[in-house]
Amino acid sequence: MLAAFANPVFDSQRTFRELLQAMARPAVPRALPVLPPAPESVAPAAMAILLTLCDAATALWLQQPVGNALEHLRFHTGLRVAQTAKEADFALITAPDAMPSLQSFAQGELRYPDRSTSLIVQVQGFRNEAGVCVAGPGIRDQEMLHIEGLPADFWTQRAALAESFPLGIDMFFVAEQHVLALPRTTRLLEH
Amino acid sequence: MTPRYNFAFLDEDTKRMLRRALLKAVAIPGCQIPFGSREMPLPYGWGTGGIQVTAALLGPDDVLKVIDQGADDTTNAVNIRRFFARVAGIATTERTAEATLIQTRHRIPETPLREDQILVFQVPEPEPLRTLEARETETRTLHALADYGLMHVKLYEDIARYGRIATSYDYPVLVDGRYLTSPSPIPKFDNPKLDHSPALMLFGAGREKRIYAIPPYTRVESVAFEDHPFDVQQWDERCALCGSGESYLDEVVVDDRGTRMFVCSDTDFCSQRTEAQA
Repeated sequence: MLAAFANPVFDSQRTFRELLQAMARPAVPRALPVLPPAPESVAPAAMAILLTLCDAATALWLQQPVGNALEHLRFHTGLRVAQTAKEADFALITAPDAMPSLQSFAQGELRYPDRSTSLIVQVQGFRNEAGVCVAGPGIRDQEMLHIEGLPADFWTQRAALAESFPLGIDMFFVAEQHVLALPRTTRLLEH
Repeated sequence: MTPRYNFAFLDEDTKRMLRRALLKAVAIPGCQIPFGSREMPLPYGWGTGGIQVTAALLGPDDVLKVIDQGADDTTNAVNIRRFFARVAGIATTERTAEATLIQTRHRIPETPLREDQILVFQVPEPEPLRTLEARETETRTLHALADYGLMHVKLYEDIARYGRIATSYDYPVLVDGRYLTSPSPIPKFDNPKLDHSPALMLFGAGREKRIYAIPPYTRVESVAFEDHPFDVQQWDERCALCGSGESYLDEVVVDDRGTRMFVCSDTDFCSQRTEAQA
């Protein structure tokens, strides 16, 4: 049995502040302050996010429920497991090239657009050069963004989703120690 | 610091619930996100929403500033600052530039905020349409449809009656061109500071159990008409203490013969200027 945060109160607080700033300043990577131990299939950065945000009130959907990942998460957070992606508050994507379409996750309701799935996507890496050009709330001018290992039609799907705003999906991408957020408001620019 | 409480008073389950709501609020700018507001050791109307948001954010390295109508030294501000010093043992300050977190009741500091600062507003009524439509089910629908005609009619009636838009505080804004949002009862003088602010702005309404946010560098427009554009208050006077002609001024009666003076509402801004001149 692996441990979780060594100091749950302060580790989750520091992680949350980085997540909040990541969500407030989309497409810009931020370093997570604490990387907890994690089972093989789960990246430590993804584990830090799950330990910070999940508890008995949230349902998690795992793309690959392999090994003891589920047991570990249940033990440390008490979270529920969502049977389908649509029911999930959070979804952990461990193989992004084979991830289900964005349409298969909850997009929220027009009166309550917050009732949507938040995605945590483990990727190889990301950088702010080449790739797509994005703008929107939290981005002063615009940012270039390249995320490795996403399905070929990911940005097409994402652009289609943007049309149903305020419905949508908010995403955290993690690679090694870094997290990068892509909320539903971030728009793809033609380039 | 009082060791009988969890750090920053709230239990960890409550903080997580608040944190999830805060992330959604930032992701959908201006949209009111429901949250399970807890009973706090002070009554509704004293900033329970702001306090809960602050408690969810606060860490041991934070430096907290609390203002009430711009002042650091009024009852509400002093109480909340002392509350967090006791239950979190954090450092507090009256200087805007030194703070990492600023909780505010009804003002935005005159000193420009930075990217590494977070502003937390105390909000009595998060729903800008509430005085026009009492039913939450209806206002939810109006937001879903982005149907804000009611607000335009209200502002138009102001013009028909007074020849100008009479709303001077809690002046409604449109966030990122989508959600009609209450900026909380800040004077409309402060509305331009909401637009493309470098600092993240979070709003907590404890009694109404809603959280919303304006992310940094987000378009925030005050609702107006082409022929009646938005404008802010102006004074013929200057601050009697520091001589400022560009800050928001309070009119204060100073004796029982009705003598008045105008002073900055932002006490930190005013005292910094006074010190610099001395």
